[in-house]
Formats: sequence, structure tokens, C-alpha cells
Amino acid sequence: MALAQQVQLQRDPGARADLVRRVTGSPALRLVGRRLLTAIPVLLGVTLLTFVVMNLIPGNPARLILGINATPGQIAQVDHQLGLDHPFWDRYWIWLDGLLHGDLGIAYSNRQSVNSDLAQFLPTTCWLLLYALVVSLGLGIGVAMLAARKPNGLADRLSLAVSMLGLSVAPYVLALVLIWVFAVKIQWFPAISNSLGSNPLTAIRALTLPAASIGFPLFAIYSRLLRADIVEQMQREDYIVTAKAKGLKPWRVLVVHATRNSMFTLITLVALNLGTLIGAVAIIEPIFSLPGIGAELISAININDLPLVEGIVVVFALVTVAGNLIADLMYAVLDPRIRYGRSAS
Amino acid sequence: MRTACLAGAVAIVLTAAACSSGGGSSSSTSTSAGATSSSSASPVSTGAAKAGGSITVLEGKGFSGDWPLGLDPATNTTGSADQDYYNAVFGQLFELGTNGKQIPDLATGYKYSNGNKTVTIDLRPNVKFSDGSALTASVVAWNWTRDLESSCTCAPSWTIARANAKVTTSAPAAGVIKVLGPLTIEVNLTAPNGAFINTMYDTIPNWIISEQSFKSMGETAFAKLPVGAGPFIMTSDSFSNEITMKKNPTYWDQPLPYLDGITFKSVSGDEAAYEAMLAGEGQVYIDMSTPQLLTEAAQKFNVITQLGTSPYDLQLNTAVPPFNNPRAREAIYAMTDFGPILQHIFKNAYPTAEGFTGPGGICYQQNVPGYQGYNPTLAKQLVAASGLDKSVIQFGTISSSPVAAETVQALSQEWAVFGVKTSQHSYNLNALIAAFLASGGKSWQAMIQTAGAYDPAGGVGVGFRFGSLSPFSGVHDPKLDSMLAAAAASSSLSARCPIYNQAAEYIAKNYYGPFYFSFAPANVAVKGVAGPGLTSALPAVAVAPAVLWEDVYNNPATS
Repeated sequence: MALAQQVQLQRDPGARADLVRRVTGSPALRLVGRRLLTAIPVLLGVTLLTFVVMNLIPGNPARLILGINATPGQIAQVDHQLGLDHPFWDRYWIWLDGLLHGDLGIAYSNRQSVNSDLAQFLPTTCWLLLYALVVSLGLGIGVAMLAARKPNGLADRLSLAVSMLGLSVAPYVLALVLIWVFAVKIQWFPAISNSLGSNPLTAIRALTLPAASIGFPLFAIYSRLLRADIVEQMQREDYIVTAKAKGLKPWRVLVVHATRNSMFTLITLVALNLGTLIGAVAIIEPIFSLPGIGAELISAININDLPLVEGIVVVFALVTVAGNLIADLMYAVLDPRIRYGRSAS
Repeated sequence: MRTACLAGAVAIVLTAAACSSGGGSSSSTSTSAGATSSSSASPVSTGAAKAGGSITVLEGKGFSGDWPLGLDPATNTTGSADQDYYNAVFGQLFELGTNGKQIPDLATGYKYSNGNKTVTIDLRPNVKFSDGSALTASVVAWNWTRDLESSCTCAPSWTIARANAKVTTSAPAAGVIKVLGPLTIEVNLTAPNGAFINTMYDTIPNWIISEQSFKSMGETAFAKLPVGAGPFIMTSDSFSNEITMKKNPTYWDQPLPYLDGITFKSVSGDEAAYEAMLAGEGQVYIDMSTPQLLTEAAQKFNVITQLGTSPYDLQLNTAVPPFNNPRAREAIYAMTDFGPILQHIFKNAYPTAEGFTGPGGICYQQNVPGYQGYNPTLAKQLVAASGLDKSVIQFGTISSSPVAAETVQALSQEWAVFGVKTSQHSYNLNALIAAFLASGGKSWQAMIQTAGAYDPAGGVGVGFRFGSLSPFSGVHDPKLDSMLAAAAASSSLSARCPIYNQAAEYIAKNYYGPFYFSFAPANVAVKGVAGPGLTSALPAVAVAPAVLWEDVYNNPATS
């Protein structure tokens, strides 16, 4: 805030009240508030469901920690330390209380805090997701525009073929093919990457094949969907005719007008696909030996490590909720007519 | 022995004497190697060994590629699955070499006395941990006391008196572990055990940690970067992901190790490891078992199938229906034709087994007299008579083993021909333990597992799967227990093996559980990388053999 404004606010209580009114009345902020409120039951539901499922899996965590030779007394002691001797609802409340205080508990498998585990493994997954998302979106939008420029033309047909391939191949199959071609045969990228290293180029090399495995199917979906939307806009909308009549160049009409107005569906899809994207890392990370939370999640489930599973699930849920919130905000950015909480004019 | 093997003719004679002394497969009651040599049937004799270079070793997730708690032997519940790292950092008191030859490493010899209730071990002089502290008998005593107090699955199962007889993890009673001198230590058992040294292989008492570093670093930090007297020093450790090691410049057996460094990387499985090797990102993969990949890998790399010691068997829970009925158990024997399974699924890579011994272990007996083989006519009668076709068999195994999973699938299909239905369950390790322990051991019916070890008295040996006291056994037969105890008591193989043979016959006669094939995984190495366990077979102590990393070298000129 500019200094002059601050001084004005200090002198004039009415101006301060007006600012508060404007801030609280901001559609975007109200949207954020509403979404955050909606996220609470979502997070509660997801964590409770995970808690129930993990408790149904046979196996005593205390025995996992202590080993098979542990005496009943030792097991009871660890049960007590971990709060496992409490009733189900008490345990869930204790965990929830910890979550509210920023403490996700201690992982059974390595006896480290879940917070530190997440701090260790989350960056790899975040970079991987970001890479996959940026590449799939970038390529998807570019190819969609190329294809929509001349429907049924060469670029359109070629993109259709590539997209069909992307839609037909499962990410883990694609991962193996990519490894075979780009790691084994031409050796451009590594087949396994147990660490990303400190050099950004090394990290990019390590993440390229995993990101392509996750991103290629998404690219296929995004490009087909966006292409169809752009074509529809170009052929049917009056504002396109107006733009053309004004003498704008075809590329400008396509990029600035048609593509921009076709983005809504794409944004919705990206937001909805976040869950799928996150799920894919759990499969792809182990294939490339990437030390991310997807691989950790699989290991944690295998050894019934409830605190770690819950911690990772919370992160996944938060990312999904945040992704959907960002999508909602982007609608408003793209179309100023949209006023959340008010009737659209 | 490594150094001595490099020497000339005189040294070779001396080394041969040292190498042949004692050993697990001999019947001698004592052994003593020279203070200046240990070593193996090393590749040195090929003349290709070369100092320098480093390698990347790939280890599969779900077994050796997991070390979530770090590498303190007394607290790591993953146990001997992590033997590669332990052996590289800690070395071993005794190593198991080619053809079961015992190699004194940090120890130089041992002696049984007091009717095999007392074992005296001599340590190698002038051995120092990489932190500079000395390896002495008192350090070993501190290690063993700590091991015995551990509640970990990996804790040694020595029959000793405890300070509190009712608590299995209480400290050893006074006099159980005695320090007789700076380099001499004694263990006093409550029951004769002539297999004591054999049962040390691949168990935590064989890996000695530095007491000084442990106390100065604390348990958590030590588990992250443990300190030992082995050929390598750990320089970084990202749990269950990656470990880097460098050559230990103060290693007792100079000029070993050959390699300047080893990086261990955890990979998701056989396929990922194979492709990483093809891409040049790994030089060794430990424990490959996928049959199709083994065939393919053999065309490009050195693939050495180890000598199995732990045959796959079908554990039957004799405490609950339907297998508390001997006719139902006999039916299982009679309706299983394992030959086609072995041929079509496992490409005849493993020898068939009828007992708990394998070709890599002691007292190997492939065929057991009186073993009920495949007999479809008899099987139909027995299935009908026992009512086996009227229930669904709960059939389980561990999920991390593709071999076990394929075996369960194949057997279920064979039995279906006789009208026997199965419900297949694939457990992770924790769930498998829970399944065995649930309802006092009475909730499971049949499990595919491995039973056996280099010495049946040790590791996941016959007692683990067929002894009354084991929570992982479906058999509770005092007569079998006493047979196994008698076999373990003697230090003479000529006395022990006949008893094990009788035990195998007894198991077959009572249809306690059929055996199928003697499995051992293979190690894969790129051409030029060689060493015991990589280019020459070693006995698998429990499931996989312990590669002798100090003898491994990388000489691309020989590829």
C-alpha cells in the first residue's frame, strides 16, 4: 500500500471502513473464503476415509516398529506411546488435533516426523507435477491452435493421430517405452534418478521422461478438447465474425479471441484432472526411482504406515482443492463479466 | 584371504591351508586362520582383478532396496535383506565363500567345547574401525549384548540364559558372554549348538559396529551413517533410496578393497533394474528373479544363478481344518505336479526339491524316501474322502515375490482340476506376519514360503517353518522338534546330516508340507565387473548370497 494511502487511512476512519467493505465485498476474496470453507468437509472426509481404510488393514504398527520378538509388554508400551490403545475416534481426533497444530505425527516406518518426510520428498513431486502440467498444457494449447486453424488439414489429422496414441497408452507403459528409446537406445535421459542433484539441468534431465509419461496422455486430452472448442468458436460465434470484419489477421483472431474464450473448458478439465495427475505420480515415480511422495505413498501403504499415508493424502487433497480454487479464480480473470456471488449481467 | 591369494607359490600353499581350515561344511570343531590373511575364492586368480574405479549396484524395492530405519543392525527390522550394505560397511566375523568355504574375516577362528554349549571365538588382531577405535573382544561383547536385547525380528535366536527368564529381550545373564582376553570372547549356551558359527552368517552378531561412534553419534545419527571395520565407509545415505560408499583406507586387508567406491541405488524391480543396466546406469543388479528377464539378460551381461538353499514349500496349518486331517494334507501332495510348472513358468531354472535342503547348503538331499509325488488317481480319492472339494482353501503368500505369486497361481489352477477351490491372498510383509499371528496362529490355512537355509539350523531354516516354537510354523510336533534340536546340537556333519534326512522323511511321511523347488535369485553384472557372488556362485545363506564386496573389481578391459 502506498504511503499516501496509509496516511489517509490513519486520518480518516471512514476511508478505513470503506476499504474493509471493499475488501470483504471483493468477489474474488469471497470466492476464496467460500472455497476454503468447502475444503474443510472435503479434507475431513478424505482423512476420515483414509483413517478407516488404514485401520481395516491387518497388522499391528507396534509390532512393525519393534519386530516379531517384541514382548506383549513392549508392544503395549509402544501402543500407548503412539496412542494406539485409544478408541478409534479418539485416535482420529488426536491426529486431527496434531494436523491443526501443523504436526502430522511420526511415521511408523522410519520414526521420523511426517513433516520432515514430506519436506524431503515433496519437492521432487512438485517439480515433476509442474513439469508435466506445464509441458502438457503448453504443447496441448499449441497443437490445438495449429489443428483448429485448418480443421481436417494436415496438422489437424496429425495431431488427432498423436492424441489417439496418447489416449490409448497407459502412463506406465509409456514410461517403459520412453525408457527404452530415450534412456537405453539413444541415452539422452536417465532411466533411473534416485536424486535430482543440485544442478538444474541434471534435474530437468531426470524429470523429463517421468514428466512426459504423465503429461503425454494429458496433452492428448487437452489438445483434442481445446481444438474442438476453438473450432466451434471460430465457426459459430458472432464476435469472431466481427473480429474478422474489422480486418484482424487470422492468427490474431485465433489466438487472442477464439483461444482465450475457449480456455474455460480447458481450465475446468485441468482442475478436475489434478487428482488423476497426482495419482499418476504414485505409479510413475517408482518406475524411475524418483524419491517423491508418490513412491513414498506406495511404500507407506505396503507397510501400513498410517501417519505417513494420512500426511500424503492431506497434501494431495490440499493440492486438489487449491487447484480447483485457482481454476475458479482464472475464470474471473479470463472473463470480467463473471462476478461471483452476484448475478451475471 | 584375498591378499595371500595374490602372492606367489609359497603363499598359495599357505593360503590354501588357511582357506580350507574349519568352515561350515566341515566336521571340524575348531578353526584358525592366520592372522595375516582371510579371504575367498577370489577372482584374483584369474589375473583380471584391477584396483580402482567405482560401480553402481541396483537393489530391488520390497527386499534389499528397503532400509527405512537406517543400517544399525540391532534396530533395522529389514534385517539381513540389507546384507550388502552391512557387509560393505561392517565386514563380517566369518564370511561364507564358494562351495560353503568358511572365510575368517574379522575373526580368525573358533572352538566348541563343553559339549558344544560353549563357543570361543578369536578376533583378528590390529583391526580398527574406520573411526580409529580398535575392534576388541569387549566391543564384540557390547555388540552382542545389544543384539540380544533387541526386540527386532533380526535379533539372534541363541539359546541363552537371560537376566529375566520371562522376558525374551532381557539382557543375557551373567557369564553368558565372557571376554577372555583382548581378542578372545566366549558364548555360553543353555543347549548344545554345533551349528553356532554357521548360524552367524547373515545374522546381526556377525556384523560388528563401532561402540565408540555409536556412543558419540547417538542411535539415530549412527543408523544414518554407521561406522564399521569393513572394506567401505558410508558417505551418504538417503533411506531406502541411495547409499554412497568410499574405500576404507584403513581396511585391515590391504590393498583391498579393489573398488574406490560403491553406490547402491534402490529400484522398483527387475524390469527397471534391467533397463537401467542397459542404459549404463548400473553395473550390478542383485537378486533378479523374473524368468523372462534372466534369459534376456544372460545375452548381454554376466548372470550368475546362485546355489539355492531355501526351497519353496507349501506350509499347511495342521492346527485347523482342513489340514488337521492328514488325508487332506496327503491330497495336496498327490494333486500337485510341479514338473510342468517348473518347466513352463520357471524354464527349469531351479532344481526340484522334496525337502528343506538345497544344492548350496549343507546336508543336501534332493529326493526324500517316501515322499508322496503326483498321483491323480489317489488325489481324487483323497480329495473326496477328506472333503477338500467342499471348502475353499485360504492360500497366501508374500506380495513382493513374483516367484511366489506365480507359484500360487499355478498351483491353484492345478488343484482346480480336482475340484479344489482356493482363495488367494497376497500379503505385504507386515500383513503376512499379522496373518500368521492372528487368532493365536489359527486363522491361516496354507502359505507358500521358503523354508531352509545354508545350515538348516540357522536363519529361516527348517525350524522357522516346521518347529513348534516358531510363530510362523503350522506344525506342532514334539518328535520333529527333538529331531531338529538333535541335528543342531552336533558340530559334526556326519552326525547331523543323517538326522536332517530323517527329519525330511518324517515331514514327508506326515504330509506336513510339500516342497517344490530350490529357488535362488540371480545376480547380474556388466562384463568387466567381477567378484564372488557376481561372477561365481555363492551359497545363499537364507534367500540370497552375500557378495564379498572387498573382492569385487571393475576391469572394463576384460569385458
